[in-house]
Amino acid sequence: MNRRIAIRNMALILGSVAVLPSCLNDKKGKPVVELKTLKIDADQENLVSNLAETILPKTSTPGANELGINLFIFKMLDDCTNKEQQENFMGGLKDFDDAVNKKYSKSFNECTVTERTAFVTALEKQTKDEQAAMAKNAVDKKDKPKDAPKLNSFYQMVKGQTIFGYTTSQYFMTKQIVYELVPGRYNAMFPVKKTAAV
Amino acid sequence: MSTNTYDAIVIGSGISGGWAAKELTEKGLKTIMLERGKDIEHIKGYVNANKGPWEFPHRGGRTQKMIEDYPVLKRDYPLNETNLDYWTNEKESPYTEIKRFDWFRGYHMGGRSLMWGRQSYRWHDTDFEANAKDGIGTDWPIRYKDLAKWYSHAEQFAGISGNRDGVPILPDGDFMPAMDMNVVEKDVQKRFKEHYNEARHFIIGRTANITVPHNNRTNCQYRNKCWLGCPFGAYFSTQSATLPAAMATGNLTVRPFSIVTKIIYDKDTKKAKGVEILDAETNKTYEYFAKIVFVNASALNSAWVLMNSATDVWEGGLGSSSGELGHNVMDHHLGVGAGGRIEGFEDKYTFGRRANGIYIPRYRNLNGEKRDYIRGFGYQGGGSRSGWSRDIAELAIGGEFKDTLSEPGTWTFGMGGFGETLPYHENKITLDKTKKDKWGLPILAFDVECKENEHKMRIDMMNDAKEMLEAAGVKDVNAYTTDPVLGRGIHEMGTARMGRDPKSSVLNEWNQVWDAKNVFVTDGAAMASSACQNPSLTYMALTARAADYAVTELKKGNI
Repeated sequence: MNRRIAIRNMALILGSVAVLPSCLNDKKGKPVVELKTLKIDADQENLVSNLAETILPKTSTPGANELGINLFIFKMLDDCTNKEQQENFMGGLKDFDDAVNKKYSKSFNECTVTERTAFVTALEKQTKDEQAAMAKNAVDKKDKPKDAPKLNSFYQMVKGQTIFGYTTSQYFMTKQIVYELVPGRYNAMFPVKKTAAV
Repeated sequence: MSTNTYDAIVIGSGISGGWAAKELTEKGLKTIMLERGKDIEHIKGYVNANKGPWEFPHRGGRTQKMIEDYPVLKRDYPLNETNLDYWTNEKESPYTEIKRFDWFRGYHMGGRSLMWGRQSYRWHDTDFEANAKDGIGTDWPIRYKDLAKWYSHAEQFAGISGNRDGVPILPDGDFMPAMDMNVVEKDVQKRFKEHYNEARHFIIGRTANITVPHNNRTNCQYRNKCWLGCPFGAYFSTQSATLPAAMATGNLTVRPFSIVTKIIYDKDTKKAKGVEILDAETNKTYEYFAKIVFVNASALNSAWVLMNSATDVWEGGLGSSSGELGHNVMDHHLGVGAGGRIEGFEDKYTFGRRANGIYIPRYRNLNGEKRDYIRGFGYQGGGSRSGWSRDIAELAIGGEFKDTLSEPGTWTFGMGGFGETLPYHENKITLDKTKKDKWGLPILAFDVECKENEHKMRIDMMNDAKEMLEAAGVKDVNAYTTDPVLGRGIHEMGTARMGRDPKSSVLNEWNQVWDAKNVFVTDGAAMASSACQNPSLTYMALTARAADYAVTELKKGNI
């Protein structure tokens, strides 16, 4: 999808132009999103966008990028994380990219959708195993849990913001679930249908 | 008669200030209500109240800029994107922490009545008698019978929804129909009753959200956006309730941007003549005069006003002759409780967002029980069904995962304790004259902490929570506790306490300053003990009672 269109969509989704990154620069090698504190190039920006789309792909319903979730991730990272978190993010992004290169001899952006999905699924499993091991260590008090590798914290940050951005998007809240600004009543025993109310 | 002369002055426009203005004006007194901050107009001023969650750039979260600008507010939940304007600018109004104290303030029309938690509980004679029985602090000069009719008066006007549960320690009131418990809460309640019978109770919260239309206010619409200000006026606030009533009398004048710097004290008559204010916008000083002054600036700022008044007579300010002004700072200690998972009820959900939870009233140290601490605590909590924030191992990414995000998750139940804090003379606020706020006024310094009684109580608060939830069938119960920092309860009390003796209290049984009988303090400052119930309803009742007395005495020519 054309990046400018993505940005325009985001304006619709967020219901406000004021929240948009103020400047767009689509020259080769420069990122589309202008950020205040986070420094990323176009490849890195695409990697995060592709990763978000891998986590929540377009199916019969819109995926992360169509909903502008990729841009939301950058806005949250830029405004809401501190220097150390951003350094971890950037370090993790590099580790992620290196790991993909090691496995496929090409970048994540150059991978096919199948390859991306396979890589991230493996990463999910690895993350879970590591978390389980850490939890076990903590219970056994064998030693202090090690800091999660930067790659994992990078991935969890992207995944967390992707899901947060998706589940708080206007599309999700009005089309996927029933969000009413003024419910008008409290039904404490509401039978569950496929779509849930909030 | 100068245009700056009224019958009564009310300092502050929060819960108790609004009540003072309503009661005094309805009794015919020409009254001016002075608010230090800006005006926030009912409905029109609630700029974020009708926004969808997606309309906030960070979806309600906090930015690094906000974290830098609000070094105190960031310590807990209040720092957020949706109602940032309602919280005091900390750079303009700093304070000194000799010990950490989380002071969450609202300097604007309506004060914290716009952001309050709305839980409304009466006190019991056990609470009013506690200090005398334990030989702690000073005895309350009143008992439940003195306040009962004023509780009714406050409930009937404010609109409190709840059940008449018949819990002995928690007197029933004049309630509107209660909100419903959800399916999980009802289940927990049933098991709770089976296990504890009448020894402990599990009830729906009593909340200042109206459930039927009342005084031109629309009943609660179950939006759960109360702290943004309610366009329906469904919860009690100054704007929704007391201010329109006071304005309707034609007797009220409201002046925003009016920082009261001192009460003007007349040595000859031993009474207040009025107040001096600093206009927060122009920095100009004005004087207002009246026969009576109600001090409702919130517990700590009411003490601040007194400390800065009549300093030529008493170095420590008006009311300091007792040696108790600014002392006995109390709050409720919290941040301790438990939560877990509920099995079953997968075919049930809730519709609408109920701005209320369940309440477990105090049960410790009653009926002859003696723990290794005195007084007690209650719990607030609730059951809810999570949305997307759950882990589905085999579907961690992809299209199917995306679809599961719109399905409801597990039912959980959680609750946290609110514990009584004792009045300790050494827990105090003082004027820090080495530092000034934006307007060149001295700031407050805090030296307040929890002590042994609170620490011991918290062990029960954590263990009991776990035990009760397990008894009620909650699975995977996880108990927690945190460092008990005071202020977090946002229930500041005690800095100008009521009592029976001017040597040990600042106020008498009618909330009159012993040293100036036409000055009444009826906010949290007046509290001689803290009990463990949310205190605002008691401030409302105390204010209405004091206003009634003040007008009667004024008419008799006694003040």
